[in-house]
Amino acid sequence: MNNQHEASDIDIRDAFFDEVYAIASKDPNVMFLTADMGALSLNKFKKDLSSQYINVGVAEQSLVSIAAGLALGGKGVFIYTIAAFITQRCYEQVKIDLCCMRLSVAIIGSGPGITYSSDGPTHHAIQDVAIMRALPEMTILNPSDPVMAAATARIAYKSRGPVYIRIDKGKLPLLYDNNENFSDGLALLKKGRDLMIITTGVMVHQAFKVADELAKHTIDAGIIDMYRIKPINEELLLSVIEKSNRIVTLEEYSIIGGIGSAISEILVDKGKALPVKRIAIADKNCVGYGDREWMHSFYGLDVDSITKTILEWIT
Amino acid sequence: MNTDELGRKANWVRNQILEMIVSANKGHIGGAFSCADILVTLYYGGILRFDPNNPNWSERDKFILSKGHSCVALYAVLADLGFFSISELNFFCQRGSMLGGHPDRNIPGIEADTGSLGHGLGIAAGLALSGKIDKKDFMTVVLVGDGECYEGSVWETAMFAGHHQLNNLIAIVDRNQQCVTDFTEDCVRLEPLDNKWRAFGWDVKTINGHSFEELLDTFKDFRCRKSARPLAIIANTIKGKGVSFMEGELQWHHSVPTGENLRIAREELTLNK
Repeated sequence: MNNQHEASDIDIRDAFFDEVYAIASKDPNVMFLTADMGALSLNKFKKDLSSQYINVGVAEQSLVSIAAGLALGGKGVFIYTIAAFITQRCYEQVKIDLCCMRLSVAIIGSGPGITYSSDGPTHHAIQDVAIMRALPEMTILNPSDPVMAAATARIAYKSRGPVYIRIDKGKLPLLYDNNENFSDGLALLKKGRDLMIITTGVMVHQAFKVADELAKHTIDAGIIDMYRIKPINEELLLSVIEKSNRIVTLEEYSIIGGIGSAISEILVDKGKALPVKRIAIADKNCVGYGDREWMHSFYGLDVDSITKTILEWIT
Repeated sequence: MNTDELGRKANWVRNQILEMIVSANKGHIGGAFSCADILVTLYYGGILRFDPNNPNWSERDKFILSKGHSCVALYAVLADLGFFSISELNFFCQRGSMLGGHPDRNIPGIEADTGSLGHGLGIAAGLALSGKIDKKDFMTVVLVGDGECYEGSVWETAMFAGHHQLNNLIAIVDRNQQCVTDFTEDCVRLEPLDNKWRAFGWDVKTINGHSFEELLDTFKDFRCRKSARPLAIIANTIKGKGVSFMEGELQWHHSVPTGENLRIAREELTLNK
């Protein structure tokens, strides 16, 4: 584990697609299908591995069903478009054609949460986890740094069932060493005496800043990166929070159905009565446009707001 | 089988459909009757390549029943061919049965889980594309309902299959003129259905879906067609075909005959044996 948070020189999306390229280069049985969504790092794939690359057009339902047919025909399949679209527009195809039929198709959603901030709510993926989590057989991965993003491509390639990967964009700081295999499903990145922040994806980085602010108030906050949202490693989770007095869940996601919900459900089922504060996007429509930083302030997900919410809660 | 034998087999299938649905007190009888002759021709007319003793044989043709609610007809065919025990038909929709109201691929001989409409053509196109890529000569045949053609996903895939010249893909449209509660031309017009498929890059043949001569003639060269285009076969059929009071009547999408109706249905199907 490396908690030094070195600046990464690679975009998290490029790290993922470079790994997909490496996988497909070695295995001609791998197909990559997009519903007309590109990425800079995909250009190489399209050029060098053109027979393994298909743009089905803006047709998400057909994208999933065709992928299912290819998988039935023995192909390893990656499908890709914007996260909100590849989960919601074709949810029934994902449910029946992939989950009911237990097919190992990798569903790549670009732009989890409010990555596409000023593009507005049509492009926000803040309901995708709730619905994908409800599907038997589904695995959901939400990488928080480029090393993990590359690893998720390998995990999906080797999976025997459908895997949904939420891929952010930008040069996120490095959290992990290259020898991590990410089989645990979660990682304790920082120990904390007073409370444990359980978070995921881009908000892991926000959590470190919040922990620094809380330290100024002599509050020692721990951080767990819940990068595998389904299935959650319940045994490991309960073990790492065994001595925690309070839990904060933090996500760039709706207050309904995300990791806050998932963790609350586990604690209830296990009879573990801990105070929990869920910090997420309120259940109201987004009004107004701005960049991601502005939207974090709007939703109370900026460092100051999160810190204030936690301080008010514990004092 | 010759056309007479196919006719007798189709009558046997319709008998099985009736008894399964009566026994379970549920099932989609009208659409199962409309596509029974098509299924019998594909499976008994020397058209599809399959091995009941090895349902996952890699060289088999892939048949996908996209109008999954007609599965009672396919169950009867698959059981009769030996994909599974014929006694399973007695348990259709019963507690713990392998055979439910819509098919899934846990059942030997079933390629895909269907039931919600508009999925099967896409799955079939993916299978056909995999066959092209791997240079395999299996055919992929998908049966869609005409009411199913209201689903936008059908046309998403129709465009894809036309563009990629999947001439190893055949879509048969069970054109019985009805959806669940209405006649298609009365609620939202489908015609001209043949030209819609043509416009999406498909070859189209329109036939009588109850004529074994026409069905056999249409399927006979399906493995060695010269065209680069996928083929849509619009099979004009009659919903409820085989039982006089059901034929073309709206109420028999998923009603179960009882009393005098049941007696007449049994008598008519028996007379045709």
